[in-house]
Amino acid sequence: MQYSLILNEKNFSVETKLSEKNFQATIENKNYNVDFNAISSNHIQMIVNGKNVNAYVYESEGKKSVVINGKNFLIQDADWLEQQEVSSSGIQKSVNIVTPPMPAIVISVSVEKGDIVKKGQAVVIVSAMKMETTLVAPFDGKVISINIKDGDKVMPGDILVDIEADEKS
Amino acid sequence: MPMFNKVLIANRGEIAVRIIHTCKDMGVKTVAVYSYADAKALHVLNADEAVCIGPAEPAKSYLNIEKIINVAQEYDVDAIHPGYGFLSENSEFAKACEDNGIIFIGPPSEVIDDLGDKITARKIMVNGGVPVIPGLSDPISDVSIVLKEAEKLGYPVLIKASAGGGGKGIRVVNSADEMPEACASASREALNAFNRSDIYLEKFFSNARHIEFQILADRFGHTIHVLERDCSIQRRHQKIIEETPSTALTKELREKMGQAAVAAAQASKYVNAGTVEFLLDDSNQFYFLEMNTRLQVEHPITEMITGIDLVRHQLEIASGNPLKLNQNDIKSRGHAIECRIYAEDPYANFMPSPGKIEYVQSPSGPGIRNDSGVYSGCEVPMDYDPILSKLISYAETRDQAISKMINALIDYIVLGVKTPIPLLIQILESKQFIEGSVFTHFLDKHFSSPKPDISDADIACLAYIAHEYSQKTPQSAGVLKKAEMTSPWQTLGHWR
Repeated sequence: MQYSLILNEKNFSVETKLSEKNFQATIENKNYNVDFNAISSNHIQMIVNGKNVNAYVYESEGKKSVVINGKNFLIQDADWLEQQEVSSSGIQKSVNIVTPPMPAIVISVSVEKGDIVKKGQAVVIVSAMKMETTLVAPFDGKVISINIKDGDKVMPGDILVDIEADEKS
Repeated sequence: MPMFNKVLIANRGEIAVRIIHTCKDMGVKTVAVYSYADAKALHVLNADEAVCIGPAEPAKSYLNIEKIINVAQEYDVDAIHPGYGFLSENSEFAKACEDNGIIFIGPPSEVIDDLGDKITARKIMVNGGVPVIPGLSDPISDVSIVLKEAEKLGYPVLIKASAGGGGKGIRVVNSADEMPEACASASREALNAFNRSDIYLEKFFSNARHIEFQILADRFGHTIHVLERDCSIQRRHQKIIEETPSTALTKELREKMGQAAVAAAQASKYVNAGTVEFLLDDSNQFYFLEMNTRLQVEHPITEMITGIDLVRHQLEIASGNPLKLNQNDIKSRGHAIECRIYAEDPYANFMPSPGKIEYVQSPSGPGIRNDSGVYSGCEVPMDYDPILSKLISYAETRDQAISKMINALIDYIVLGVKTPIPLLIQILESKQFIEGSVFTHFLDKHFSSPKPDISDADIACLAYIAHEYSQKTPQSAGVLKKAEMTSPWQTLGHWR
């Protein structure tokens, strides 16, 4: 089997041959013999080329967080990712909308409907865990609507302020 | 004096859990309070009684003095332990307890008032013969006076909020033309965060170490110190790694600073547990920074090297008993290090990472202590300080304590939220940390833009695949029956 994985933005191509509780793998011409055993749904014990490795894995939204030897990795399947992008082309990527990076509470809105804004201009301030984050306009444009008010709880993906892009940007 | 029958813990998270442990040890009944967001929190599960006091928003729950006093009265509570943060340094709360016949486990409200105002605290220390940082002991009203004084002190200088804490309301000023804006913005930030815009001036030491001394004082004036903690690894003035003993102190310096700490406590008429913070400059001069009128987050490292339970002493002192420890009873042995484990991403500017903890595996073993407030499946709410736990290592020497901590961090698995564990490992493995050259700007200097260690990326890919494969059993996805789980150790015979 061929796996095309993306780990912290780097591509890893893995060729595998699976048998019962064991697989052989090749990554960049390096060969690995892996015996594995699921201790729980989050804990996989592996013996990689004779060396014991405890791996902890958590899967969410098509990505796996993997913890090995005190290091954290975020791994995605590149083929799966491609499929997702094709099927969800109606959804804007978060870089183009005013949305919080984590669940947060709206502290203040510094624009009004109809305002002309420039790319990078502060638009909304949100707070999570006592830390304030300023959300900015992703491009030059005009504020079409303000969808929130001070004190609202907001989630990543929510569009807090609708900005219509300037034709030139 | 008899010990309390029942104590209410006006706090949450790991510190509430820790306080409840000692109360149980002492046979004291415990009452926990919680907000809607904490209905299944560990401190709630561990207390004898638990009362919901309102919505997640702190002002409506953990900071609501009236609600908490009402619960204390309704549940026949003798004393309240305020923990750290929240109402622990709120003199109004301490006074409300006093006025309602409930013992506040801490110093008297007037002492909290005095020491909570940095300008007043400075004056008390100057009168008590405790060295203070060169600067102005009065609030700034006129920028021209500040400029003259700053010239005398020599730049850089620090503008600080009088009611401040946690790094807010502080500005480093490198030259005269930065002064007006620094004063204005520090004042604004202080007004927003603490409701008071008063600011004052101090000399700024760029190569300083932050050393604090633990104090215990009973109601009868008997005051001792319980040695120091070095809290120099900080980020945005928030501590992340603390250790004791400090590599910066000689026996003589420790004795001098310890005596100054006791003098500071006595000058302010301190009662119960408190901490005197000093700044140690690079010529070994030390200066009073501030006194914290509560139990500190990092108190466990002091407990490890001295074998003392500080919370136990807090309860004893508060119940009116004399402190039975004398200064020469305080002996330190070995070395202890604490790492604070927050729900935040260390490689994304420590952005908070609230959410559900899918899986947590806590480290253990000789010399390991984990003061934790979480468990697998619990929610980390977005409304509070994201501290999950404090991991402490204790060993005979500093080097041993460091390697023990590194191994414990490697064994500490948290899935579902991000934690600074990988960065903490990088810091502890660094040459600078091992050498002991830990100044307050350590992180800015050596780890300003930390990048994750991705050696073992190959192995991580293998784990990804092994996880995929282990979910594809014929019986059901993700759940392996016991009969299937033969360990490779058994099937493969001898390997090593």
